[in-house]
Amino acid sequence: MTTFLQILLNGLMLGGLFAIVSIGLTLIFGIIKVVNFAHGEFLMGGMFITWLITTQMGLHPYAAVIVVVPVLFVMGALTQRLLIQPLMSARDDHIQIFATVGLSTALINLALLIFGADIANTPPHGLRAPLEFGELRLLTGQVMIFGAAIVLVIGLELFLKYTQTGRAIRAVAQNRGAAELMGINVNHIYVLTFGLGAACVGLAAVLIAPLYPTSSNIGTYFVLTAFVVVVLGGLGSIPGAFLGALIIGEVDALSGYYIGSDLREAVVFGLFLLILILRPSGLFGARQNLSHLS
Amino acid sequence: MSNETTSGPSVPAPSLPWPAIGVVLVLASLLLIPLGIGNAFVTHIFVTICLMAALSSAWNLVGGFAGQLSLGHATFYGIGAYTAVILVNLGITPWIGMFAGAGIAAIVGMAISYPCFRLKGPFFSLASIAFLEVFRVLTLHFSDFTGGATGKMIPLKLGWTWMVFRERWPSLLIIFGMLCAVLVVVWAVRRSRLGFYLIATRERESAAKAAGVKTVQVRLVAVAISSALCAMLGTFHAMYLTFIEPSAMFSLTFSIQIAMFALIGGLGTVSGPLLGAVLLVPLTEWARASFGASALGLHGFVYGVVLLLAVLFMPNGIIGLLQKFRRAPHHELDEDEQTTQTDSIKAPAQATTPPSPDREGIGRDVMRVQNLNKRFGGLHVTKNVNFTLREGEVLGLIGPNGAGKTTLFNMLSGFLTPNEGSVTVRGPDGGYHTPVNPADFAALGVGRTFQIVQPFAAMTVEENIMVGAFYRHHDEHDAREAARQTAWRMGLGPLLQDEARGLTIGGLKRLEVARVMAMEPRILLLDEVMAGINQTDVRRAIDLMLSIRDSGVSIIAIEHVMQAVMSLSDRVLVLAAGEVIAEGDPHEVVRDPHVIEAYLGKEFANAHR
Amino acid sequence: MTTRSILLGTALGLSLASGAFADVKIGSLYPFSGPLALLGEESARGLDLAVDQINAAGGLHGDRIVLERGDAVDNNQAIGEARRLISLEGVKAVFGTYSSSRVIAASQVTELAGIPYFELGAVADEVTGRGMTYLFRTNPTAENMGIAVIDMLADQIAPAAGKAPEDLKIGIIYEDSSYGTSVAGHEVAHAKERGLNVVLKSGYPANIVDMSSLVLDLKGKGVDVVLQTSYQNDTVLFLQQANEAGYKPMAIIGGGGGYSMQPTADAVGTDVIDGVYDVDFTQYAINPDFTPGIETFLDAYRAKYGEEPRSGHSLTNYVGALAVLQAIGEGEGFEPDQIVASVKAMDIPDGSTAAGYGVKFDDTNQNERARMMGMQWQDGKLLTVYPPDAAVAEIRQSE
Repeated sequence: MTTFLQILLNGLMLGGLFAIVSIGLTLIFGIIKVVNFAHGEFLMGGMFITWLITTQMGLHPYAAVIVVVPVLFVMGALTQRLLIQPLMSARDDHIQIFATVGLSTALINLALLIFGADIANTPPHGLRAPLEFGELRLLTGQVMIFGAAIVLVIGLELFLKYTQTGRAIRAVAQNRGAAELMGINVNHIYVLTFGLGAACVGLAAVLIAPLYPTSSNIGTYFVLTAFVVVVLGGLGSIPGAFLGALIIGEVDALSGYYIGSDLREAVVFGLFLLILILRPSGLFGARQNLSHLS
Repeated sequence: MSNETTSGPSVPAPSLPWPAIGVVLVLASLLLIPLGIGNAFVTHIFVTICLMAALSSAWNLVGGFAGQLSLGHATFYGIGAYTAVILVNLGITPWIGMFAGAGIAAIVGMAISYPCFRLKGPFFSLASIAFLEVFRVLTLHFSDFTGGATGKMIPLKLGWTWMVFRERWPSLLIIFGMLCAVLVVVWAVRRSRLGFYLIATRERESAAKAAGVKTVQVRLVAVAISSALCAMLGTFHAMYLTFIEPSAMFSLTFSIQIAMFALIGGLGTVSGPLLGAVLLVPLTEWARASFGASALGLHGFVYGVVLLLAVLFMPNGIIGLLQKFRRAPHHELDEDEQTTQTDSIKAPAQATTPPSPDREGIGRDVMRVQNLNKRFGGLHVTKNVNFTLREGEVLGLIGPNGAGKTTLFNMLSGFLTPNEGSVTVRGPDGGYHTPVNPADFAALGVGRTFQIVQPFAAMTVEENIMVGAFYRHHDEHDAREAARQTAWRMGLGPLLQDEARGLTIGGLKRLEVARVMAMEPRILLLDEVMAGINQTDVRRAIDLMLSIRDSGVSIIAIEHVMQAVMSLSDRVLVLAAGEVIAEGDPHEVVRDPHVIEAYLGKEFANAHR
Repeated sequence: MTTRSILLGTALGLSLASGAFADVKIGSLYPFSGPLALLGEESARGLDLAVDQINAAGGLHGDRIVLERGDAVDNNQAIGEARRLISLEGVKAVFGTYSSSRVIAASQVTELAGIPYFELGAVADEVTGRGMTYLFRTNPTAENMGIAVIDMLADQIAPAAGKAPEDLKIGIIYEDSSYGTSVAGHEVAHAKERGLNVVLKSGYPANIVDMSSLVLDLKGKGVDVVLQTSYQNDTVLFLQQANEAGYKPMAIIGGGGGYSMQPTADAVGTDVIDGVYDVDFTQYAINPDFTPGIETFLDAYRAKYGEEPRSGHSLTNYVGALAVLQAIGEGEGFEPDQIVASVKAMDIPDGSTAAGYGVKFDDTNQNERARMMGMQWQDGKLLTVYPPDAAVAEIRQSE
């Protein structure tokens, strides 16, 4: 019984991890309707910067947030401005897919070039210390991630609902043309949104770096899972992504224990395909978000 | 051929010989250079070029022609490799294994693509990646069968039977032959009805459906061909490598590479992937040789950056650049010039009988609409709509904006399924049928246009119309002929070779009609086709409709141009808030106080005078 | 031989090469780019040093050896480069390759061309035993690793803890590529032969980000000894997550990869890795009486590259290459059959090479004397503890 509870708890924590990685992706997708295949490489970049700051300056990893989040914001904004925006008018989305795939390939190899094939370990500074609840154990860092994910979801929802900029972002997402007529600078909003999405993944990178070894291809694993989460939660829905992440976390943990660690990738991707095919609006998605369907 | 066709300004023939000559030259050098040098390493590079070009060309059938961006095509290559290697170990020659693998890959391809076709753009790509991962993990897991992570080897039995050679040239010969075969298949598909249907589906799925294209079926055929070809290439490569393993056979990087050659060469073109591979493979080999050993990842970085630059500055690939270069002497037509370049619509010579509900030549019922109801959520869009359409009759459909006219059209052509009620169509066999989807409607001879024009933007005017013409003519030549005739009739003759995306709204409306006319429908549903046509042409268009009517075609026309409604329609149906509020002789209907009340439209008042 | 004399010899060899001596070309086929590049390069350094040493001593049959590098970044490329080396460069033999799948692919080419291929570092069983005439392997294999793990457990670790080996519950976890899968297979088979009790065997993908479920499974089944075959990322993850879940098995025995690397110890912390066992190629903290020549190697390495070896791969490659080249030097010449005859005649006893094991090829052209060494992390250092004649420290059993 304890084991089962521990698995559920591990799944929950894994869910928090997937959630914080996926929020930026679903934000970018929901507003700009661009699937960013380089999302995982943004995460990887953020983790490497965190590692550099922590090891070079001997700071607590969380202190890196001051640098990583702005850097990632700029990275995201530049991606939108220099890469996606010139392609927004491209007649089909092939081009955008190739653009972000190309960016992803370039970033992975750039990291390999700079940091080599070795893994980089960010000193945990106590974040790996276990918290014990009777027989059950959690890591301090995991709890921080989970908490941060909840705060981020609520914060973004409030931002989108109650601020001037947030309302402009939602207006653009709902009807680009109408928003343009109302005097909203759509390109400006897109750059801002991409930056925000990247900044979210920057926050994720700072929180994850002390817990997981950083390597040039860590993004690939996370991004595929993040896509599963985003589709499951309903595209563009931030609370949906959070719930989707919790489900995938539990599925991952339970299948890892009961089915076998070598097949859990197949289970997660199988689930992804089932959702895509049977319920493409996602478990919590609204119908109007079905722009990916014909 | 009518003299009309030759009367137009001279347009470049669709295929000047020199691109073909270029392809032949490239192919010849792929074979002759390595045979001439006779060095095993050079031969190996050329084998890799041929393999990549062939894989990329096969991918292009799905990724380029059908517009389904698969990033998991290595799945089929891997299936071909594994099937053949397992069979070779059982003592069966790869020449048989090749076709076994192709068969399995075609079936798997269709099975996994069918549910994914409703996914657009990036989601199809994601699903294809997910399938690739699932296949890789399963290959690892079922190790009794596949050899698991350690992979599988073939015994080194030499000779043509086993496709393993001590010399290098037989392998080159085989893969070169396969490349040529793939190119011929792709070329044949591009020129055939299938190719036109694929591109039409990619460009505008709904318009393709209206043109009678079974959109799912044609894409499944494309996937089957593409997967089978990839599997056969996988078999060859497995025999060439003599050793396969899951991580190399079901690799995402490899899948992206396959797609990348096509993108850089030119998506959806016959020779693009070939050019992409011919240029890129030696380039990457060179990059690897010069940077590979010194800086880890530099080679991959260059690779990603090349892809980014290509996407930004060369979105139509090398072929796109070449075409731009070729077309440079012709300047782009601006709006005015284009309007003057459209011909007038050719009205038929003989006078036609004016419309009337009891006119000579109106025959039996061809379409019966009973009790149609459609609701979108709480909104009741059409309420108990009943009417019949008779052979050779023109029925005008009018009503204020939001009356439900287009929704009604969508139900009459199978694009929407009514909540209640039925649409019955009399088929060529004389019996009445209840079709349910656009393809069924098209098969019974129902053709339609769209209010918001839906051209196949990347195709020329001629090709657009050919998509319709293919419905009647299976042969490419006949279809082209029929399309040209229709185009000249619609005044589109001078623009035959222009891309549809460059047309004005008026031109696009004509194109829309021409495409459906080329299908030679028995029932024609026209949704505001007069909008955007100039005054003189409206008159001619009306005469053209009347002549179509006299050939026995029944027409339902949604129209706001009242002049057209009054002079075309034998009967008029007035729809307001989803209900039929009046029906009958046009001149009587427009005087009906209910109609005036419902309408209150300016154009109506004009027509009244 | 001192560093100076080697350098001197190399310089002498170089100056003489232009004159009296002809060159003999040898292929050096390793993954020099791509994801395997780090250890591919490290392995190639071993071959480089062996060639330097031979050249300094006058070359082979009076000819200076020239290494031609080929980059085996993937299987297709391995084949292409093997072809290039044979046809363009005209090499007399190919040495390599670190990655098992690259050598399996490339050796099919050399076999057809009738060029001898000497594998110095790839461990998969399938490399040899394919009935090839011209392929030889000098290094220990996955099977050697599996056997060494089980033997060390049954003969040393269990007695040191005062337990009967049969009473221990063994859990085997491994990354599910070729490497982990084949080592794990041999561990299971050999454990069965010795009557040990394996209660769990589970693979996982090497890029895994969470191993907590696996840790719970091991803990739940009461596993006393965990055998993990892994790369670096999953080694770090497992050691950390096991520690955090409060799971402290009696012994953890790693198979190569991440377990032998200093960065792993730095990542998980000395307190966590202390006491963990490791079976791998010969490492440097070893009894020098058992490994004559290891100091020469280390000196040459430091002199040439200005740093300490990053792993045992360079030593293993060096030992294999040196032995093979010396045998060729004693043979008749560079014709393929002369090379084969000369290496088949090799009979180097244990305890007389820098890696400790001897060299003698069996019927499948595998070095039957090759074996893996057992190490234990003690106070942040990886010390050889098994076999006893190579050991520099006693096994340390915590509580």
